[in-house]
Amino acid sequence: MTSEALAVPRRVLITGVSNPLGAEVARRLAPQVPYLFGCDVADPVSALEDMDFVHADTRHAVIGKLVRQLRIDTVVHMAVTVDSAREDRAAHETNVIGTMNVLAGCTVPASPVTRVVVKSSQAIYGAGPTDPSFFSEDMVGSERQGSLATRDLREMESLVSEFALRNSMSRVTVLRLGYRVTAETMLAKYLSLPIVPTFTGFDPRLQLVAEEDAAEAIVRAAIGAHPGVYNVAGAGVVLLSQAIAIMGGRAAPVLFPYARWMARFGLKALTGIDLPGHVADVLAFGSVADCARLTAEFGWSPAYPTRAVMDAFARGKEAEVIEAPSPPQEYELQVYLQRRRRQEHIGHRGGKALMGRQ
Amino acid sequence: MSAEPVEVHIEPKQLRRRSRKAEIVAPRPPGARLPRVIRRLQRNAPTYAMQGLVDLSTRLRQMTGREVIDLNRVMEFVQFAYQQRELSRRGADYAVDEFGFDPQWTESFLGVFKVLYRDYWRVETTGIAHVPATGRGLLVSNHAGVLPWDGTMIKTAMFVEHSQPRHVRALVASLFMGMPMISWFLRRTGQTVGHPDDTRRLLERDELVLVFPEGVKGTGKPFKERYRLRRFGRGGFVATAIRAGAPIIPISVVGSEEIYPMIADLAPVARTFGLPYLPVTPFWPWLGPLGLIPLPSKWRIQFHPPVHVETYPPEAAEDRNLVMAIADEVRDTIQAGVYQNLKRRRGVFV
Repeated sequence: MTSEALAVPRRVLITGVSNPLGAEVARRLAPQVPYLFGCDVADPVSALEDMDFVHADTRHAVIGKLVRQLRIDTVVHMAVTVDSAREDRAAHETNVIGTMNVLAGCTVPASPVTRVVVKSSQAIYGAGPTDPSFFSEDMVGSERQGSLATRDLREMESLVSEFALRNSMSRVTVLRLGYRVTAETMLAKYLSLPIVPTFTGFDPRLQLVAEEDAAEAIVRAAIGAHPGVYNVAGAGVVLLSQAIAIMGGRAAPVLFPYARWMARFGLKALTGIDLPGHVADVLAFGSVADCARLTAEFGWSPAYPTRAVMDAFARGKEAEVIEAPSPPQEYELQVYLQRRRRQEHIGHRGGKALMGRQ
Repeated sequence: MSAEPVEVHIEPKQLRRRSRKAEIVAPRPPGARLPRVIRRLQRNAPTYAMQGLVDLSTRLRQMTGREVIDLNRVMEFVQFAYQQRELSRRGADYAVDEFGFDPQWTESFLGVFKVLYRDYWRVETTGIAHVPATGRGLLVSNHAGVLPWDGTMIKTAMFVEHSQPRHVRALVASLFMGMPMISWFLRRTGQTVGHPDDTRRLLERDELVLVFPEGVKGTGKPFKERYRLRRFGRGGFVATAIRAGAPIIPISVVGSEEIYPMIADLAPVARTFGLPYLPVTPFWPWLGPLGLIPLPSKWRIQFHPPVHVETYPPEAAEDRNLVMAIADEVRDTIQAGVYQNLKRRRGVFV
C-alpha cells in the first residue's frame, strides 16, 4: 500500500454514530470522504444522506465482517460511553468488550484497515488530591485505583495500544476528550440545577470542551495521520462556583466530601441526577488536561475556551428548545434515502456528484 | 473654560424630581422599606464612623502628643471591608489562571496579612533585593510551626518589602489538597501541589515558586528540636530548578518555631484522620479554637544571595552528585542563616 493511499481515507466506518457527537462527526466527515458508513445499536439521531447506516452492535463479532465486506480503511470508534452511572456493567461491555471486538475486526488477515481513531475520555486520569494540576498524556497510572469508568477506559486504552504495537501498518489515534456540557451529559444536568449541592470545602477547577471542538478533533484525526494519544480540551478553566454562577444557580456546599458514593446516592435521591463516580471525583478535586501535544502535532487547538463553552451552555439553557424530530422518523428517512440512492446509482460510487452535497 | 467651582443652587422641587428619576434608573428592591431617616443613617453610617474616628484620633494626638490611632491602619481595614464587598459583587465575572489562582481575591487578604506581618510578629526582613524583580526563581525555605504561617509571611514580605511586589506561588503537600476548606483556600491563593510537573510549569511561566523541601517533617517536629533543619527531601527541587533554568534563593525564617510550641504528637489519632501529625501545645487542644491562635513571637526572615543553578546545562539535573551537593549547600546556607538570625534576635517575644 502506498503512502498516497494512506494519506486520504476512502472508506470510513463510524461506530456509535447514533449519539449526538457521533452524528456531528459523521456530518463533518461526509463531505470529505467518498464512502461513509455508520453503525450503532440505536437509530441515528439525524439522517445523513451520504452515510450508509447499519444496525450493528460492537459487542458482537459482526464488526469484523462489516470491515471486511465493506473494505473499510478507516475506523472511527466512538461507541465508548463514559457518562453512565446506572449501567456500569453495560458500560464495561461497551467500552472494553466492544473495543476488543472492533480491534479484532481490524486485525483480520489482510485487513484493509490502515487507520483507527478511538474516542476515549479525560476520565481515564481520574481525579484525586495527589494528582498534579495538569494531566499530560503519559500520566495514566496503571496502579492507581479509580472509578469503574476510569478502570474500564484504562483497560480499553491498553487494548488499543497493544493493537497499535501489533499492527504497525495501521495508524492508531486515541483522543481523550475533555468533559462536555451538552443537554444529555450528567455534568450538564448537575450544573443546571437551581440549587447545586457541592462538596463542602471544595471548589475545583473544571475544564470543558465544546461539542464542535470534540467533533472537529475526531474529524482531523480521521483525515490526517497523527498516530498517538492526545488530550482534547478547551483552554483555561472555570471554578465550579463560577460555573454555577454562570448558569444562574446557587451553590449549596452540603455534600460530605469523603466516601463520595454517599453523596452520589444522596444526590440521586434528592435530584434524580445519577453522577458517575469519576464526575463526582472531578467535582471534588478537579481535572485539567494539558493539550500541548495536540496543538503541536495537529497544528490545531480547540477553538472555544472553557469559559466560552460554559457561557454558551448557559445561553442555550435560556433559549427555547425546539423539539427535535423523533428518532424513528429520522431512521425511516435514513433508510428511504439509502434505498433511493442505491436504486438510482447502481454501480456508481455513491452518486454524490449527481445528488449534490448537503 | 474656568476651573473655579461654580455654586449651583437647586430648587427643592427640582431635587425631588431628580431623586424620582434616579429611582427609575435603579428600581427599588422589593419588600418593606425602612423610614427615610433610618435609610439615610444607614447610607451615611460609614462616613459618620470615619469622621468620628478622625476626630477621636486628632483629640488623642493633642492629649497625648503621639499617634494613638494610626489612621493608615484603620484605612487598610476599611479598604479590606470594601474590597470584600466589591469581590462579592463581581459574581462569575472573573478569571482564575489554570492553577485556580485568583489574584484579585488573594490581594484582598493582603491587608490582614500585613497587620500580622508588621504588628503581630514584627517581621524584620533582610536581603529582599536578592529576589529577582522579573523572571523565574525558586525560593527555598526552612519550614516550621504546626501551620504554614511561614509561607504566608514570605508571600507578604514580597508585597511589603520588595520594590516590585510579586505573587509567590508555594508548593504544598498533596495531603492538604485533599482537605476541605484548606484545599480550596490554598488553590485560590495561588498554591499548587508539590509535584515536579507543577513546579516546572510554574517556573516556565516565569513565576516565583516557594518550596519547603522539609515538608511536613519540618512543621511537625517537636519544640525541643526547634531550628534544626530536617532532611531536604531527595534534592528534587534542585533538579527541577536546573531543568527550568531558575536561580535558587535560600530563605532562613526565624520565629516560626515558637508560634505553636509542639510538646507532643498524638500520632495514632492523627493516623486515623489521615493527618501527618496532631500536635499538643500548651493551648491546643485544651482551649479549643482559641488554641489555634499563634503566639506573637518575634520573626526574622533573611533572603540569601541566589545560587545560580541556571548556569548548568539541563542535563546536569540527572547528575545525582551535583544535585545532592547543591541541595546540601542550600541547606547549609539556610541553617547558618537561622543560627545567625537567632543570635541577632534579642528574645523570643521581643
